[in-house]
Amino acid sequence: MDYLIHIAVYFTIFSITGMSLNLIVGYTGLFSITHASFYGIGAYTTALLLTRLGAGFMMSVALGVLITFAAALLVGMVLSRFSDDYFAIVSLGFSTIVFAVLLNWQGLTRGGQGIFGVPRASVFGYRLVSNADFLMLSTAFFVVTFFICRFIVNSSFGRVLKAIREDEAAVRIFGYNTVYYKLAIFVTGSMMAAAAGSLYASYIGYIDPSVSGVNESIFMFVIIILGGLGNLYGPLLGAVFLILLPEGLRYLGLPVIVSAKIQEFIYGMVLTALMLCRPQGLVGEYKP
Amino acid sequence: MDTIIAGAIYTLIALGFNLIYWVTKFFNIAHGVFIVLGGYTVFLLHNTLGLGLLPGVAAGVLLVGVAGMLADRAVFSILRRKRASSVIMLVASLGILWALQALIALVFGTGFQRLSGMGEIPETYEIFGAVVTEIQVAIMAAGISVTALLALVINKTRFGRAVKAIGDDEEVARIIGIDTDRIIGYVFFIGSAIAGLGGILIGFDVGLLPAMGMMLLLKGITASIIGGAGNIYGGALGAYLLGLVENIGVVAFSGGWRDASAFGLLIIFLLFRPRGILGT
Repeated sequence: MDYLIHIAVYFTIFSITGMSLNLIVGYTGLFSITHASFYGIGAYTTALLLTRLGAGFMMSVALGVLITFAAALLVGMVLSRFSDDYFAIVSLGFSTIVFAVLLNWQGLTRGGQGIFGVPRASVFGYRLVSNADFLMLSTAFFVVTFFICRFIVNSSFGRVLKAIREDEAAVRIFGYNTVYYKLAIFVTGSMMAAAAGSLYASYIGYIDPSVSGVNESIFMFVIIILGGLGNLYGPLLGAVFLILLPEGLRYLGLPVIVSAKIQEFIYGMVLTALMLCRPQGLVGEYKP
Repeated sequence: MDTIIAGAIYTLIALGFNLIYWVTKFFNIAHGVFIVLGGYTVFLLHNTLGLGLLPGVAAGVLLVGVAGMLADRAVFSILRRKRASSVIMLVASLGILWALQALIALVFGTGFQRLSGMGEIPETYEIFGAVVTEIQVAIMAAGISVTALLALVINKTRFGRAVKAIGDDEEVARIIGIDTDRIIGYVFFIGSAIAGLGGILIGFDVGLLPAMGMMLLLKGITASIIGGAGNIYGGALGAYLLGLVENIGVVAFSGGWRDASAFGLLIIFLLFRPRGILGT
């Protein structure tokens, strides 16, 4: 049972990163490969506040989201100059820079050693010691994120985003300031990723700079493409795939490192095959 | 001296990447894995199976070239026919990188491997007061000679003219009777083979890791963009500039900032001179 709960917690966290990235990539057509950077900022903010200052979890989430707001605004302003594949490459560049900062700012982040012993969250004076308690918290975050995403994509704001994705020049002719829209959704999505990072740090109890690595960012990107771009349920499907594949491989009884590489091999093959046959992903509505 | 060595390595990566970008107009992420594939092919042929050094290297370069051509046949040529966007091509090539990288790790292990065969203690030379190893001399020589050779092929041969025509406009090139798919296939062969050579030299100099392709490729892309995407001389020029800035970053801060300073340079260039030094 505890095992299923563990998987469910993972599902909620991965789904939050997926849904938020889907707002940016799937609905607006901005190929951001730096999502893990903001996830990492959230994770580090929570880890540091909880271990060093003994602050409350919700407090740390709020601060992580706030820091991400500033960071994403800065990154987003630079990125708003680019589109399509250049956007992808420059965002990859940012993800290496954030990784380098977390790795080299030894005084704050303890560098490659990472931060141990991040305590479990306590919310409103109630300490979530067991995994089942934590699942309630992460599910609450998951549900809130889902409804925010649904609200955004069904609003008039969301319709402008989809229009930008299809033909930005045309939207601009209608008098919309597309840069403002793109920046707003980039920052919003990134802030959600920070909240997911906070959950992760408090759940696992240990983080190091690799949580915000380039590979992690690429991974988040791949997962939402597998599930489907521009569909609210696509990232959830991607998260299920992400979780079921390693669990399935576990039954083969392979060493961990071998099964991790087999997973990567399968992701790579599936990704290329999807691009050949179904570039919008399994249930996607947007074809890049 | 570190600058020149790093610059030569990035040149080899950027040259092939740039050549492929020139004719296909997409960021071929799979290029990164062909660097690594070159190193490991030589590791298999030379260090494990005991093939001689030069035949091993030659076979490694050729095999990587063939692998690049196969990737074009199996994936990119099909996407081209479907008129897929450059983002789809980029994601497809990312899938190839991941799959091949994982395959290499499964075969050779995820650990560090080093190509050997230049003798236990590498011979060293002194150039302008700096001590360099034999392999580093080879890297510098390869950086310059491959650039020169490629420039010669592009400027003096029929094949080169066809490449230029496709680079200007693939549609028009096809209309005037150039077999664009065949030429692009050869471009993938040449570009990937050069990347493979780069990987082999890296393997002799500092060693191989299955996962190193992505970062090396990002350096190659950076060099191409700051030099001028789709311009061979630009790629080489950008590579040396990148090597210089990285080493300044390392001296000014510390080794951990090498990659970050490279991307700082890329972002500055894209903001203020998006076409690169020699771009038009």
